[in-house]
Formats: sequence, structure tokens, C-alpha cells
Amino acid sequence: MARVRRPGTRWWVGAVGLMGLCVAAEVQPAYSQQSVSVRAALVKGALPTDDPTAAAWATAAVSEFPMSPQVHWPVRITEVTAKSVKVRGLHDGTNVAILLEYSDPSEDPEDAAALEFMVGDTKAHFAHGQPMAQVQGGPVNIWYWKNKDSKGVDMGAKGFGTLKPHAHQDVTAKGVFQDGVWKVVFSRPLHTEYLEEDTQFKPGEFASIAFAIWDGKKTDSGQPKEKGSEKAISSWWYFRADAPPDYSPYMYAVLAVALALGFELVLVRRLKKGS
Amino acid sequence: MGGVLVRPIILTVLIYLFLKFIVPILPHSAPLPSSLIFLYLMLTTAGIVIFETLSGASKDAFFGPIFRFLTGESGGALSSARYLVLALFPLLVGWQTYGSTASSDAPPAENRTIHPAPPGEYTGLSNPVPKTPDNIMYGKGLYASRCSPCHGNFDGKGFAATGFTPPPANFKDPTTIAMLQESYLFWRIKRGGVGLPVEGMPWKSAMPRWELELSDEDIWKVIMGEYDGAGQKPRTWDESE
Repeated sequence: MARVRRPGTRWWVGAVGLMGLCVAAEVQPAYSQQSVSVRAALVKGALPTDDPTAAAWATAAVSEFPMSPQVHWPVRITEVTAKSVKVRGLHDGTNVAILLEYSDPSEDPEDAAALEFMVGDTKAHFAHGQPMAQVQGGPVNIWYWKNKDSKGVDMGAKGFGTLKPHAHQDVTAKGVFQDGVWKVVFSRPLHTEYLEEDTQFKPGEFASIAFAIWDGKKTDSGQPKEKGSEKAISSWWYFRADAPPDYSPYMYAVLAVALALGFELVLVRRLKKGS
Repeated sequence: MGGVLVRPIILTVLIYLFLKFIVPILPHSAPLPSSLIFLYLMLTTAGIVIFETLSGASKDAFFGPIFRFLTGESGGALSSARYLVLALFPLLVGWQTYGSTASSDAPPAENRTIHPAPPGEYTGLSNPVPKTPDNIMYGKGLYASRCSPCHGNFDGKGFAATGFTPPPANFKDPTTIAMLQESYLFWRIKRGGVGLPVEGMPWKSAMPRWELELSDEDIWKVIMGEYDGAGQKPRTWDESE
């Protein structure tokens, strides 16, 4: 049976279709292909602060960041082992744990990794908080781990040559090497009393984070392949510890739907009365 | 609904498509943010409503089909569309409300100025080094050893570029060195990323401060090598006037 089209109805089908395409074009994917931030989910129970292989890490969202050879300042390096690093985070409202995972063909005593954060609201250059010409910069807080030391070191810097451990030490770290992969977990309380030296994590707010990795494999000269400024680095990315669940947006949305429905009812009734 | 609404709807959609897909591909243009597109569409809608309601007759002709649609007097297939619109409108309002009140997973927006204004002392400087093949070749050699790890073959794709954000500049892109004067490059190379003003977000830049390792003369030669290698010419005072 031949379909009969009502004259004058075809145009709006096309218009609705076009508008649908427009709306679809506006919808952005929730996450871009390349990670820009690390998300530490809020969990109940004990954090796996001393176990990089704990099952709890499988539930944490993973972000991956590319690493570059450090070519920003002397001594430079042109080839590094770590090409990228996978990062996961968890927190329990009191402590935060951050897991780094990266490939390394061999386990060596000098293998090392570090996290870097800005301190407070003052911007700091990702290269050890070096001075900036037109911006008053702040210090950086560095959490450092070396395989042979088997512990975390809480450090600070504000410019090249100023890197040193803090008098207080509140960072823990543990690394496990399995099948050519290092898994290193760093942990610290979200808040500390050292506001001028330590980064402070406010759940729900973004902080800046950067990464550094050293392959400590010894070369023919007897020196580690990567040491000091010769390392794999990233510039600043973002880190956020999730805030506790907030259901108020759902309540506001339901209220808005009810108001919009009420507006429609009143409008249609008024129009019908008017006509 | 009457045909009087066809033209405004088509006009609005066409303007949206132009802003969304045509404007970004125009020379020296960039994708418009959604908020700006929304603002333009609101202005378009307001203009259409004003135009269509200039007289009593045109006002009735414009609003009549809308009112008949909303009250269900249009009949036919439009009745289904009416229920669809009446159901979708509250849902859209709820969705927008949720979106504007829920915390976002997206990091804070960064309005970084790619080419911020240089300090006064770096404005209008002329390259004092003669543009000879030897000097260009020397500059290219310095570029190969100092700059290519990040900037690559003048395309911003060096082996060390991957970990840095913002990424190193692509000199073959017509929106980089081709629209800058040599004095601007001299400032950027000499003072490096840490020399940028706050709008350039110096804390994120991996550009070294080459004044610590290269003489001014060598920097000028690097600039010549860059332009030659990228197949670009510096913007001159004559062109900018």
C-alpha cells in the first residue's frame, strides 16, 4: 500500500533531524583519549598504602601520561626507558595513595620514581619550581622513592640546586617489580600541618601533579643509565581526590523538571482559554 | 504548524552549522566555544522574534502556528510531535540544571595565551646577523642539536615532545613563526618558558632559557635557521603596518 504523506509535515521532520544532529555534535565524550588528570576515588576501609599489587587498585580509574627525556635544563638526556606512566589514586578521607606503574626491563637498586606537586595556591614551574621572570612562583613538593632505599622521602625545592628533604617526613612509598613492570605506591595524609612545604589535598578540587622516573640500570661506565636531571619527566597534569557523594544536583534537577512541567501546564491552559 | 516558521528554523540551523563547522576551517580561525555559539544562536532567535513581530499581522502569523501546536489544535502528525516537545522540554531543563549544579570531572579550563605580548625591550629588534648561507647553515646546526629534540623537523614532533603540555610549537604551521617578527622569537628563545607573562602560563612551559647557554648572535642565527628550515618568512614591520 502506498504511503500517503500529509502536505506540510515533511519539513519539520527534517528540521527535527537537523536539530538532533546539532545536539549530537555538541555532546562531548566524558573523557578524551589522552589523560589529563588522575582521579582518586573515595573508598571505605583500609587503603593499600603498602601493597602496590592489592586487589583494591583494580577498582581505581587508571590514567596514562606520556613521558619525555629531560631536555629542559642541563644535564640533559636524549633517550629514556620509561615512555609513559600509568597512574591510579585512592583516598579514604584521611590518607591518599597514588600508584605509579611503568615498564622497565630490569630491576636495579638505583631505579627511582617521584611525584611533584605545587604547594598552596601559588603557581610553581614544573622544573623544580625554578624562578619565573614575570610571575612570583612558589615551591614544589616532591615525593621520592628509590628501590635500594625502599622508602618514601618528602622533599621540597624552589629552583635548581635547592632540592632537599623536609625536616618532617610524612610520605611512605613501596615498590614491587614484577615481569618488567614497576608498581610504586606513594601515600601521605591528605592534610598536614606544614602548609608552606607540603601540598594539601582538598577533596573535589584539582591540584597540579607531575612525574619523574629514573632507570637505574648500570652502564659500562658503572654509572646508572639515568640519574639526577637525566630522567624521564612530564610537565604538569591534574590530580583530584573525589569529594564525598553529593546528591543535591539530582534534587535540583527533579525540582527543575517539576517547575518546567508546571509552566507548560499553565501556558497551555492559558493559550486554550485565550483561543 | 504553518510554513511561516520554516524559514526561521532553517535560518537558525544554518547559522549553527556555519558557526560550528565552517568558521573553524576559515583561515586564521579556530573552533568557537559552545557558550559563544549558544550566545550567537540566542541573538539570532531574538532578532527573528523581533523581525516577525514588528506588526500585529506578522505577530499573529508568527505566533499563531506555535500556539496551535502547543494547544493541540494543529492535529494530525503534529499531535505526536506536541507530546514529544511537551515531554522533552522539562527533561531538557532538568538535564541542564543537573549539568550546571553537579561537580564536573573536567579539570579547570585553561585560557592560555599562545603568543602573549613581549616585554618592551624585545619589540621591533632587527636581526643583526647577515642572512648568509653560512649563517643559516650554522643556525640550522644549532637548531638540530638544541631545538629539534622537542620541535622536531620544524613540525613540533621531536622525540622529546610527547610528555610536555603545552606541546612544542610547529613552525610549519602558518599560525606560529610566520605571523611573528624575528624580535618575538629572539625573546622567546632567549628568556625561554619562564620568561612568559602570567597569561602564557610559564609554569607549564618546557622551553629552556637559552640565554644561559647560547650567545645573542647564536640565537639570531637559530632564528634564521628556523625560518629557512620551516619554509616560512618572518613578519616584518612593513607587513604589520
